[in-house]
Amino acid sequence: MDTISESSTKKASAVRKGVIIAVVLAVLTLIEFVVGLVLPNPWILLTLALLKALIVIQFFMHVSRVFAGEGGH
Amino acid sequence: MKVLKLGILWGLIAQCAGSIIGASLVMFIRILMGRAPIVNSWRVDEPLMVVGGLFGAIGFMYGVGALSDWIKIMRGREAPLPHGHDPRGWSRYFGVSYDHKVIGVQYGITAVGVFLLAGLFALVMRTELARSGLHILRLDNFNTLIGLHGIMMIASILIGVAALMNYLVPMMIGATDMAFPRLNAFAFWLNIPGALLVTSSMFFGGFETGWTGYPPLSAHTFPGVQMFFLGVYIIGLSSILGALNIIATVLCMRAPGMTLFRMPIFVWASLSTSLISLTATQLIGLSFQLVMFERLFGMNFFNPDKGGNVILFQHLFWFYSHPAVYIFVLPGLGIISELLPVFSRKPLFGYRWIAMSSLAIALVGFLVWAHHMFAAGMEEYLRVPFMYSTMLVAVPTGVKFFSWMATLWGGKIETPTPMLFVLGGITVFLFGGLTGPPLGTVSTDLHLHDSYFVVGHFHNTMFGGFVYPFFAAIYYWFPKITGRRMSETMGWLHFWLMTPAFWLMTGGMFWVGLRGMRRRIADYDPALGFDTIHLLVTLSAFLIAISVLIFLGNLIYSAFFGEEAKGNLWASRSPEWQVPSPMPEHNYDEPFVVTGEPYDYGLPGSVYIDLHPRPPEPVRGQPPQLEPATGD
Amino acid sequence: MATSSASLHRHGHVGGVIEDDHAAYQRMVRMLRIGLWLFIISDGFMFTGLFVSRFYLLGGTRPELSQALGLIVTSVLLASSFYMNRAETLIEHGDREGFLRCTLITIGLGLGFFVGVVFLEWPLAASHIGGPAASAMSSVFFMMTGMHAFHVITGILFLLVIYFNGRRGRYTPQRHWMVEACANYWHFVDVVWIFFYPALYLIGTPVALGH
Repeated sequence: MDTISESSTKKASAVRKGVIIAVVLAVLTLIEFVVGLVLPNPWILLTLALLKALIVIQFFMHVSRVFAGEGGH
Repeated sequence: MKVLKLGILWGLIAQCAGSIIGASLVMFIRILMGRAPIVNSWRVDEPLMVVGGLFGAIGFMYGVGALSDWIKIMRGREAPLPHGHDPRGWSRYFGVSYDHKVIGVQYGITAVGVFLLAGLFALVMRTELARSGLHILRLDNFNTLIGLHGIMMIASILIGVAALMNYLVPMMIGATDMAFPRLNAFAFWLNIPGALLVTSSMFFGGFETGWTGYPPLSAHTFPGVQMFFLGVYIIGLSSILGALNIIATVLCMRAPGMTLFRMPIFVWASLSTSLISLTATQLIGLSFQLVMFERLFGMNFFNPDKGGNVILFQHLFWFYSHPAVYIFVLPGLGIISELLPVFSRKPLFGYRWIAMSSLAIALVGFLVWAHHMFAAGMEEYLRVPFMYSTMLVAVPTGVKFFSWMATLWGGKIETPTPMLFVLGGITVFLFGGLTGPPLGTVSTDLHLHDSYFVVGHFHNTMFGGFVYPFFAAIYYWFPKITGRRMSETMGWLHFWLMTPAFWLMTGGMFWVGLRGMRRRIADYDPALGFDTIHLLVTLSAFLIAISVLIFLGNLIYSAFFGEEAKGNLWASRSPEWQVPSPMPEHNYDEPFVVTGEPYDYGLPGSVYIDLHPRPPEPVRGQPPQLEPATGD
Repeated sequence: MATSSASLHRHGHVGGVIEDDHAAYQRMVRMLRIGLWLFIISDGFMFTGLFVSRFYLLGGTRPELSQALGLIVTSVLLASSFYMNRAETLIEHGDREGFLRCTLITIGLGLGFFVGVVFLEWPLAASHIGGPAASAMSSVFFMMTGMHAFHVITGILFLLVIYFNGRRGRYTPQRHWMVEACANYWHFVDVVWIFFYPALYLIGTPVALGH
């Protein structure tokens, strides 16, 4: 029973991590939208886009697994 | 009946069927929209041609069988690799095989075939230029021929580079195959429909733009240009996928103990080349695609009337097409570095420097593209930075030359045919390299731009950087493929006919170019006094053609009747020569272990690889050993 | 374990190794991962070319587009990326039902994005800035969104493949490379849009009937 509850905790925390990242991305998108309406400075907008892209690449695409070598799960 | 089992036959049938299906689809949609199914004639109806051509290419890939395993995997079925269950004998080369050695030879045969065709185009065009005035060609034929000569030669070189890399890289790093054998076969077979499409542009009126396909002309020339774009697009896709495979193979499948700086130098060259073709090729694909869409949908990327800009095309195009020349020459220079120590019986001078210079050329090569555009009306502030970045390429190239000289220095030089071609390649490439800086310098380029000087420079770099090393590689590794060696007499004749003829040809090109002969024109003013030189250039082009025919005869003759050579013919230290020729089905019975430096020729007691490591334990701190991919 | 050997073949494009142990599968996945990332880098160069072309041709102007629709499709794609990640996380933890559900939601949101761009935004944009042939600006807009939409469609096909194979129980917490590959591709499509959205909707001064 212990291992089952342990694995379900792990699963819950992994799912929660996904939610947090999605919320961060949504907030950044909203900021982007507002910046685009109020102060459309290309550099601010591109920086925000870069930040979002890095978050997706790191947390959704798991880029670090490429460098993790064997068994990078 | 054996013929009916050949994959390529079914591929070609499926390509015809696919083309008809694609064209019918367009007609069907048009009928549904209440329009005429064919606009004017099928030979000028571009949507019909493009969709037909695309479906034809997909049809070929399906018909030849390059997709069947992936379809199985997609449907959740099993698709084990049938490695080792290929049919034996000649028929294995005409269907899908996942063996990297077979694919390498397939690439090689295709490269030579496309090379001959493109050479034939050159001969026709040179015959026209032998005297001033128009004799055998119409102007539009001439323009189509120069474009086809250019692009087919480029395709041939790309395919030839892939042949070398596919055949040699897994052997040299001690792998049994490439990282992705199915992708490897897929990438090879893409070239066949691609080359057919490019050639078919002749039957749709040809194209007038030369191989560069610059708009606005390419947006308005004959419909044949669509087939040219589509064919190059498909060959480009093959190049990208092949490069991906090489990089993954080199990164993941090296033998235990083979650290990056113990790889054979050709592997470094392949890695650098692949980095370019993996990334930059996308940009030529994009630029060609934009022109295709401009023609198909009336889009306006390059139409100044509607806010477009033709310079954008040149930026995108040269972002690939300049690094592309490094794709062509880096493997060739790798072959030179590979063979020099073998025939000088001396360690390769400055191994690390040569390895790093390949990488440096590849990386700096990304920063130089706009030197093709000094005369194009490009932004002027870009001229000087691109001039200096271009000069920067000379530094790593110089490193290679000095390393080669130092390798030769004091060596016990032998000159069998491969070494002749290596030395010929070095001298020819030297001249190609030296004529580069005048073209990369803004002030002199404005004078020399689009002259025959450029043509001479380019042929020197391509012959020195690719054609000579490619011939050297064929003479050198032919025994590895067939177990027989090529005739030395015919090889000697090939070399000594081709080399003086080549010098005469490019010498003539430089001479007329410096005096104002424009490139890409079918006729010139007799008052310029170029007739004699042009005649000499044409004659030497025919001499080169004869020498290539001698090579071809040698190739076929030696494959059947050549002197047997099963062992380490050249006394090489490279891993592939430590096992018998022809190469065994699975390369190495057991993975070898690298214990020394690759090029320590002449150093007593030095070992590069241990073929039978006992016990076979991986060296500590090295990349983990991959299991031999044998048995299925 | 005969079944795992069978599934090894099913998932691995890389050939050769008949080994039942986890380590062999991991080695193959490592290679496939590098291959997939190389493909993504390569494809990224194409999209970068389009991105740079947009600024080269249009500079400080942008097409006049519906801001509301832009924000909606962007959010839909972001949500689909979230569900894709959730699907992958769930199959990693052995929750096959959840995986299938999330994959289906991802497909739905992906289709929603596609419909939003191609069937809603395109006609709307055509009324503002003209069709693809109207000007360089409209050409750039239709090319960028079209190329992205093409990748969305291929991504949806890939998603359908993993959905149906998932329903047949082909994926386990240990062996689900195809799911990982599909997820990475889908996130890559999202990353491309992360850059295309500001480039088309936010940066520059809006111009109706471009040029």
